[in-house]
Amino acid sequence: MAVVGAGIVGMSAAHFLSRAGWQVTVYDTGVVASGATGSADGAVSVASKKPGPLMTLAVAAVKFYEHLIATGVLVDEYLPRSTFVVASDQEELAVLERHAGELEAADVAIRMLKGAALTQVIGAAAPSAIAAAEVQGEGHAVGYRVAERLRQLGGFAIRRNCRVSGFESTNGRITGLVTEHGTEPADAVLLATGIGSTHFLADAGLIRPRKGQLIVTDRAGADTPHFPGPLMSCRYLVSKGSQPAGAVAPSRSLGLVIDPLRTGQFLIGGSREDRDDRESADADVVAALLRDAVALSPSLAQLRVIRVFAGLRAATRDGMPIVGRVSGADNLWIATGFEGDGICLGPMMGRLCQQMICGEPPAQDISALDSARFGLTLATAA
Amino acid sequence: MSGPEVLVIGGGPAGVSAALELARAGIDVTLCEQGPRLGGAIHRQPDDPTQSVHVPQSHKRRWQALSDALAGSTVKVLCRHMFAGIEATGAVLLEDRIHGRLVTRRPAALVLAMGAIERVAPVPGWQLPGVVTVGGLQVMMKSTGRAPDGDVLIAGSGPLLVALAAQMASLGNAPVAVLERSPRLVSLRVVASLLRAPAYLREAAGYLLTLVRSGTLPQRGVCVTAIAPKDGRLSVTVRDRAGRERRLLVDRVALHDGLLPNSNGTTTGQHGPFIVRAGDCREVLGGTAALADGRLGAQAVLAHLGQTAPANKGPAAIMARERQAQAALNTLFDYSGRDPAQLPDETVICRCEGRTLGQLRSMLSADDPVSAREIKLNGRFGMGSCQGRFCAEWVASFVASQRNGTPPQPSEIVGSRWPVKPVPISAFVTLPPSSPSE
Ligand SMILES: Cc1cc2nc3c(=O)[nH]c(=O)nc-3n(C[C@H](O)[C@H](O)[C@H](O)COP(=O)(O)OP(=O)(O)OC[C@H]3O[C@@H](n4cnc5c(N)ncnc54)[C@H](O)[C@@H]3O)c2cc1C
Ligand SMILES: Cc1cc2nc3c(=O)[nH]c(=O)nc-3n(C[C@H](O)[C@H](O)[C@H](O)COP(=O)(O)OP(=O)(O)OC[C@H]3O[C@@H](n4cnc5c(N)ncnc54)[C@H](O)[C@@H]3O)c2cc1C
Repeated sequence: MAVVGAGIVGMSAAHFLSRAGWQVTVYDTGVVASGATGSADGAVSVASKKPGPLMTLAVAAVKFYEHLIATGVLVDEYLPRSTFVVASDQEELAVLERHAGELEAADVAIRMLKGAALTQVIGAAAPSAIAAAEVQGEGHAVGYRVAERLRQLGGFAIRRNCRVSGFESTNGRITGLVTEHGTEPADAVLLATGIGSTHFLADAGLIRPRKGQLIVTDRAGADTPHFPGPLMSCRYLVSKGSQPAGAVAPSRSLGLVIDPLRTGQFLIGGSREDRDDRESADADVVAALLRDAVALSPSLAQLRVIRVFAGLRAATRDGMPIVGRVSGADNLWIATGFEGDGICLGPMMGRLCQQMICGEPPAQDISALDSARFGLTLATAA
Repeated sequence: MSGPEVLVIGGGPAGVSAALELARAGIDVTLCEQGPRLGGAIHRQPDDPTQSVHVPQSHKRRWQALSDALAGSTVKVLCRHMFAGIEATGAVLLEDRIHGRLVTRRPAALVLAMGAIERVAPVPGWQLPGVVTVGGLQVMMKSTGRAPDGDVLIAGSGPLLVALAAQMASLGNAPVAVLERSPRLVSLRVVASLLRAPAYLREAAGYLLTLVRSGTLPQRGVCVTAIAPKDGRLSVTVRDRAGRERRLLVDRVALHDGLLPNSNGTTTGQHGPFIVRAGDCREVLGGTAALADGRLGAQAVLAHLGQTAPANKGPAAIMARERQAQAALNTLFDYSGRDPAQLPDETVICRCEGRTLGQLRSMLSADDPVSAREIKLNGRFGMGSCQGRFCAEWVASFVASQRNGTPPQPSEIVGSRWPVKPVPISAFVTLPPSSPSE
């Protein structure tokens, strides 16, 4: 079994496939987690999901993280905590209330915070908030740490700096991978190539890069107030497309999330830009994000920026991930297009890919993600 | 003045000399220095002018000449302006520490003359409070005009050890000992090579004379092997050439293992200005070379801007002479430090994040060739405030010592992201938004 892509999806799939008896090799152009998985925040969260199948899958994905902790697959890579979706004015409040209603309809535990409860829980962190929804029972995981844990558990091989450019096939079955270091035999292939999937698909415009810029601060000082969990501005829901823009104009598509990290640092993000300049952050976007952050949490102004970075999310035409077969070969599968949700969904997707490839009934209904909706075919270049 | 603007970063001899040369050619030059005053490492000026540290006459004269020239030039000087990097669209970011704001510039060219960074080889206990760098202590003395109090031990390798010791002695608190790792003694050959750059010999002779008087001549072939806290002080284990160990109880330890160019990871990128490096920031060759290299840097900028600089072989000849002198001088020192593979597991390697050699070793134990990036992310080496500028070399050399194959490069750990140093969020939020059309 060849898994192409050592991001969180590929590493999880490799983990479960190897436990299901396959002899697995993971190939990556770069190293482990050098794609989106290594340049992301780690909200394992239902709070920001679009109502519908994605929200349902996210609920299951959060439970799957808990299951991985309970079974010892993950140790301390997952940190349970609430997310706080914050409204700062009446228009944002309308978005907040609509979204909270939809979360409740999906059986997500919500606590609406207003008045004294609001002041007590997030008043110090976000004094200008007029209301917040505490989305309970979710958590945080750092994508590259999850991938590292799965690497340490082992059971499969990793080939770094080994780009896969195409396949060799006979009678409609792939028999080998063409890599930059020669051809490698394979009985089955899973593409978990994130934004790199465009290379393998005939429909070149199906998956597009959506750049995100993130900011890391130094450690909070003694006078930085306690943040009970990540603060997510209502505008984030709009920028992500989880809620229609309506009255709230997306502020340059900057969906603000202020994430207090376990190290005492903050991760502040993230923009959503339809651009492909992967490794660079620009001062304009960073300053705009920080202005939004300080407007919500003035105490952050005392901290310093130690690092800024950018990552590329893989966004599909209809905003839903793609999981299933690629026509042109019987033994080729794909799992991609996780946009801003792959850290949350990744481990569960790894398990679902294993079930799909082994012909077992999937533990979740993923028909909404089926690649058949786009009639995927292999690019001639591959 | 109209025409292209050139920014020079760093107010040491290299930066000042580059700025002057550019201004003489009629270029619009701005010189940015992060500190409150120009001067750089060697000509750092005191906070209170009446409280100055003893420096050689030749240094004083040289700085006076530069200051006078600058005063009579068109160079615009911005002190307390820190170069924070080049962002994705090619704008140069400056943190204006006077007004607490961030400003952007789009110069045609950028001269980076940010000097050297000080190298310190890890030893167990080097992260303890009270352990400082020799250069850091010297900067503190030059700024305050006072020697540090208490018992100070100076150790490591390089000419800076002796310079600091002599300056402390003249200010009335000679160090308890100066330990130079290298056992090699000054040979006639070295003296002969240095005769071509006699300033070094005069400077060294002056320092050594002071140390003879205070009875603290450097002990050669002696190094620090561990530092531990004891009764509110520091217990330092030192080892001599014969392998004998003894302990010294002191208040402070100043370590130093040579200088490296302060490359800061800055790269031009697709949209950035034309960049040249000058002085210690390009090659660590000391003050005289820094002056000449500043002029060479300026000439490279002029050539890039299409101006033909007057043919002048002077600076290049000085550089060649100084390079030889430094090479001769360096034979007297041993910057290697202890082989990291021989250090105990509890030795801290990354001081920002408190990560140890044992933690690094455990990441490598599997038979999977983990990459530098994975070591950085998961081991948190180079993830702290300094972004790996002080530990990358040691992480890379340790990993290389533990396995075959392509050794990781320090640059893979440092990366080339901005900001090059932490910038306050309060400064960031002042950046005016660019026009929406962009
Ligand atoms: C700024 C930002 C913030 C985010 N925040 C969150 C968040 O809070 N919560 C959340 O759930 N998600 C978040 N995400 C999304 C998440 O990071 C991604 O959805 C997830 O990492 C996707 O994982 P992946 O394994 O599919 O892809 P990737 O991690 O991109 O992995 C794909 C791998 O395939 C390799 N590859 C590609 N082509 C080839 C080839 N031809 N041959 C060999 N190898 C190849 C690449 O090198 C790469 O390593 C964020 C993303 C970004 C950019
Ligand atoms: C700590 C130290 C002490 C030294 N002491 C001596 C000595 O006693 N005798 C001797 O002969 N040589 C000494 N040297 C050697 C010294 O390297 C040269 O003599 C000379 O100072 C080099 O000149 P330069 O202009 O290249 O760099 P420097 O003189 O180091 O000047 C660099 C300047 O750039 C500034 N800078 C750095 N980063 C930024 C930024 N991001 N933004 C804005 N400004 C920035 C610094 O504040 C500094 O003023 C010392 C070096 C060091 C590092």
